[in-house]
Amino acid sequence: MKKILLVDDEQDIVETLKFVLESEGYTCYCAYNGEDGLKLAKEIIPDLMVLDIMMPKINGFKISRLLKYDAKYKNIPIIMLTARSQESDKQIGEETGADVYITKPFDLDEVLATVSRLLKEKEEN
Amino acid sequence: MAKILMVSDNNDKIKHYDEMLTGFSHDFQFASDNQMFSDIVDINMPQIIILDSDSKSIDLSQLYRKINSVKENIINITILKEDSIPPELLNISDAFLMEPVSDNVLISTINVNLRRKDALIRLATSNQNLSKSLYQLDVLYNTGSQFAATLDKEKLINIMLEGLDKALGFSVACVLTFKSDNEPLLIINSINQISDRLLEALKLRAVLNYKSLFENKEMPFELDINDLKTIKYAKNPIDDYDFSVLRYDNMLAQINLSDNFFGFVEIYRENEFTNEDTQCFHTIAQQVSMPLKNAAYIQEIQAKNKELYRLEHLKSEFVSIVSHELRTPITPLKTSLEIMLSGRAGILTPNMQKFLTIGKNNVETFQKIINDLLDMSKIEAGKMDYKFTSINMEKAIEFVKTLQNNVADEKGLKLTTKFDENFATVFADEQRIHQVLNNLLSNAIKFTKEGGNIEISTKIVDAQDIVCPECFENEIKKLNGKYVQVCVKDEGIGIEQENLAKIFDQFKQIESSLSREVGGTGLGLPIVRKILDAHNGAIWAESKLGVGSNFYFVLPVLCEKSNFWIMHKQLIQQAKVNKTKFVTLTISAKGNCIEKLMKEDNLFNGTYLNNSLLDKNENLTSLTMVIPDADRHCVDFLKRKIDAVILNDKARYGKCDIMYSYTTYPKEKD
Repeated sequence: MKKILLVDDEQDIVETLKFVLESEGYTCYCAYNGEDGLKLAKEIIPDLMVLDIMMPKINGFKISRLLKYDAKYKNIPIIMLTARSQESDKQIGEETGADVYITKPFDLDEVLATVSRLLKEKEEN
Repeated sequence: MAKILMVSDNNDKIKHYDEMLTGFSHDFQFASDNQMFSDIVDINMPQIIILDSDSKSIDLSQLYRKINSVKENIINITILKEDSIPPELLNISDAFLMEPVSDNVLISTINVNLRRKDALIRLATSNQNLSKSLYQLDVLYNTGSQFAATLDKEKLINIMLEGLDKALGFSVACVLTFKSDNEPLLIINSINQISDRLLEALKLRAVLNYKSLFENKEMPFELDINDLKTIKYAKNPIDDYDFSVLRYDNMLAQINLSDNFFGFVEIYRENEFTNEDTQCFHTIAQQVSMPLKNAAYIQEIQAKNKELYRLEHLKSEFVSIVSHELRTPITPLKTSLEIMLSGRAGILTPNMQKFLTIGKNNVETFQKIINDLLDMSKIEAGKMDYKFTSINMEKAIEFVKTLQNNVADEKGLKLTTKFDENFATVFADEQRIHQVLNNLLSNAIKFTKEGGNIEISTKIVDAQDIVCPECFENEIKKLNGKYVQVCVKDEGIGIEQENLAKIFDQFKQIESSLSREVGGTGLGLPIVRKILDAHNGAIWAESKLGVGSNFYFVLPVLCEKSNFWIMHKQLIQQAKVNKTKFVTLTISAKGNCIEKLMKEDNLFNGTYLNNSLLDKNENLTSLTMVIPDADRHCVDFLKRKIDAVILNDKARYGKCDIMYSYTTYPKEKD
């Protein structure tokens, strides 16, 4: 079973995503701030992460950068979620190593399709 | 009565004329040699010289020279012995009399010449007065035109004082004014420095003057001598004026802004003022009141503008924050509805399905409205970022058409496209162009009745061939060169002619309640227009009530015909073929765009910056970069990036003309 880590300070979003992903057969771990998210990521080493950008303490960019520079975790695909849709944010997201960038409010189908694509790509590598 | 000097060596004659002229109460003197003549002329200048040319002991030629030197101021009457005038005398003598001279003739000659001289003096004086008046008039005129040129209170007062100084030449001028916060201020301009004693005296006098102006009347401002601040300007700071100034002649004039008191000006001068001076003084003091009034208005307007700007900014900020906050709860709301609709949370009855669908559709509408509000606030704050790439217009249209196909099918509408035979490539932000097309197309779908037709067409046009309704002509004027014109044609209800020009204007829409008829926030079309503006494009519409509307927009094309791109591509090609060693790229721009680009966009990093030269002169800045290894596509890359940043910059900072040019250097021979 694939492990997916969800990190977002908005519990409702985590809740709905968790429900959908679990109904698709994934195992979900949740964190509601950046600090816990980073700790949990290192503990469980998930197969994929969904990260919000704007979070208290450690934001999504920072988590992404910290993980991508570490050989142990750099292969974890990261999906960035944010309410902001400015180009500059997208660019920063790409530079910090996030694999996909999805703007809130998102389409569930889009999220599911992206998750399965990234996992498939990871397996092939 | 006149001072008369007789020059003669004949004592009988002297005696005779002395008696005769003294009898007519003239002041008579005589000179019997050159020395005596010179002395008298130098010490006690006569009005009339009577010259006896029959004086043998006098050196006449020396005498003539002396007379010649003072001839402007005297009347010269020459008595001749015979009827021939010495040529030297022709120019210096006013009258010639032949001997024997009758007393009557001499007296009448003296009188005539005295009267003539008197008339001349009067004429000269009035000429002098006239030129003085002319000068004052000229100063008045100049001051008047200077007044018109500024709306700054302090400058206006300075101009007034300068004018008064030029026209009247005052020793001291005191101006009393009240600042906006009723703070009294006494400005003292003087030739010499004002002593401390005099300053106190002038302050006291200003207060007394002020109180006397409003005797038995209500004073517009409170004035206490302890609150009176002073500013002193002295042309000559070494010498001091003391109380003596208070004995000088002085004039005072009140300065009014229409019916309101503004202040007064008082000037002091050692010489007495004439009537003309008084008039001139009052005219200048009056002249200043009109521009001062305007200056007061301008200050008020500026303060209001500042406040408006602040409020506008606050509004944008508010809209931005509120939209963000509104968008946050939409995500779980929408996701929850989607989960239920997908059947993951359990089996749905047809009614549950129906109402959840209604809910989801409305959440999506809500989301669109918030996106519009966010877009508008970003545009207004100048924070809208565009990612420019070269995109194909036909492809963009096909993409948007696919998105809307389902909705159109549901309504039984026929969506067709008709493209120009040449493909149109534009330099644009793909997402934003999709937004433009999507907006126009969904409007067309919304308003076209079931079973109707909607057509999207493209056409490559020259700017001068574009035709549009009169109310949009200003939009078209700014265009120049080749454009792709996209037309979305619907069979909708149409738009009334008087509303046509308003549909792209957010404020007008709200004003005319047009948005209620159209639905939504009414921000869709204004946003579309702003996006097209940022792309150097334009938008307009044609409409017939009950028949339908045509929405047109144009974007500059980057077709193969564009010289610039051909030049660019050729250069790159050349660089590759010749294995060019390096290329220099020069970018020139007005203002400080380039510095801004360097700082903000991190464009010229690493190697390029090391090899670059920034050249600044006045308004044009140019940056020359030497790009090594030009054969490795790097120019192409850099060029694209610059294009994007520059267009981006244009959108953000308005006008900034940027040009660039290349020079290639062939590889050095081994």
